[in-house]
Amino acid sequence: MDFAGALSGDHLKFLFNGFMVTLYIAFISIVLSFIIGIIIGTLRYAKIPVISKVLALIVETIRNLPLLLIIFFTYFALPEIGIKMSITAAAITALTVFESAMLSEIVRSGLNSIDKGQIEAARSSGLTYIQTLSKIVMPQALRRMVPPIVSQFISLLKDTSLAVIIALPELMHNAQIIYAQNINYVIPIFILVSVMYFIVNYGLSLIARRLESRQA
Amino acid sequence: MIQFAAVNKYYGDFHVLKDINLKIEKGEVVVVIGPSGSGKSTMLRCINRLESITDGKLTINNTEVNDKKTDINQLRRNIGMVFQHFNLYPHKTVLENITIAPIMVLKQTKEEAEKTAMYFLEKVGIPDKANSYPSQLSGGQQQRVAIARGLAMKPDIMLFDEPTSALDPEMIGEVLDVMKALAKEGMTMVVVTHEMGFAKEVADRIIFMDHGQILEQAKPAEFYANPKEERARLFLSRILNH
Ligand SMILES: Nc1ncnc2c1ncn2[C@@H]1O[C@H](COP(=O)(O)OP(=O)(O)OP(=O)(O)O)[C@@H](O)[C@H]1O
Ligand SMILES: [Mg+2]
Repeated sequence: MDFAGALSGDHLKFLFNGFMVTLYIAFISIVLSFIIGIIIGTLRYAKIPVISKVLALIVETIRNLPLLLIIFFTYFALPEIGIKMSITAAAITALTVFESAMLSEIVRSGLNSIDKGQIEAARSSGLTYIQTLSKIVMPQALRRMVPPIVSQFISLLKDTSLAVIIALPELMHNAQIIYAQNINYVIPIFILVSVMYFIVNYGLSLIARRLESRQA
Repeated sequence: MIQFAAVNKYYGDFHVLKDINLKIEKGEVVVVIGPSGSGKSTMLRCINRLESITDGKLTINNTEVNDKKTDINQLRRNIGMVFQHFNLYPHKTVLENITIAPIMVLKQTKEEAEKTAMYFLEKVGIPDKANSYPSQLSGGQQQRVAIARGLAMKPDIMLFDEPTSALDPEMIGEVLDVMKALAKEGMTMVVVTHEMGFAKEVADRIIFMDHGQILEQAKPAEFYANPKEERARLFLSRILNH
């Protein structure tokens, strides 16, 4: 083991750059999949005749594929049908597609968990369906969704490392480049990389816990 | 004011309301009783179209409830409803629970709506709870908030579905008192309840339902003293002797 050599200034900077790519890709994918997940989850919850069925089929398909396959598909298969993307765009697209499907399920079951009596009370006072959804059902459901949504975000952050297979220069990718030079770097680099993932993910779960206790 | 004419309702093959004919006048207080599963809630919920009828005609102030042209939200703002389990919005304060519909549906300003809300909170006896959340109130208080919430829309009709059956015995009285006061002020009320004291004191009419049918309609004094229908007699002896 060579801690000093492994964790030289240049290497740390290189790892840090990789970590920034990880965070950047994760952040954009989180924002996009959160928005798309809420829209799809709500549309499915609302049981709109054809749309809800079609979305159900799409969501179920995506949820039952490995993320790795979706990343491969986006980067290697889509260009065959004329859709070419940069590595970064491909990674964001694949993660967003996958995570939107996962989040839409969280949103849908969160909405479903709200007592029907809430809807009846709101509708019987003259609120429209949309008003009932946005003012009564959604706010209550969102509170319940915080823990599963945060744990989904944590897996998303970890899953960005899968984009190493399309050579996205994220944390794992850069770590590999460093320890490939010298077998003695492997353990120090792994320790450091673990610490980086841990800090961010643990921070996220602390925030989740804070949010949970605040609403209780 | 409310009129059922040959109304039938099915859940799939199940005939839940059978040939209901019922006319409720303005200012009338009607108490609906009957065994569990007899269709009391279903009939009540048809009035504001929480349930839709299968055939027949149901009109409120000459507006057909199930007509496609009827603006249901317009109709509903005129009909308050109080539920067995209160159904207050847990994420909103008492004041917000009461003001949300007046603000969103009647387009009142926040100030106007809050003023009305406070008036009705005074009326149900808990103005000091305006800024509490429902979870901080007792069952009786929650139900009184639910009544205030219904009244804040200034409806012509109030529907109550077993408003006291989820309450501890010591809290039933406070809710019934609010309802009695409302009845005496001339509100049109349809109340599903087995509270005989309430029925005797303020009801104009008792409706006895069984198996989806209205079997008997009578003045409370008459009905309790001498029910004509055998099944009503059986039912009364059961609720009296438990
Ligand atoms: N959504 C539904 N689908 C199918 N059947 C239903 C539905 N809602 C109610 N029913 C059935 O319709 C019948 C009448 O129900 P309803 O709730 O109106 O009875 P109720 O007189 O209010 O009884 P309770 O005193 O128990 O409240 C019951 O047999 C019930 O099981
Ligand atoms: Mg009932």
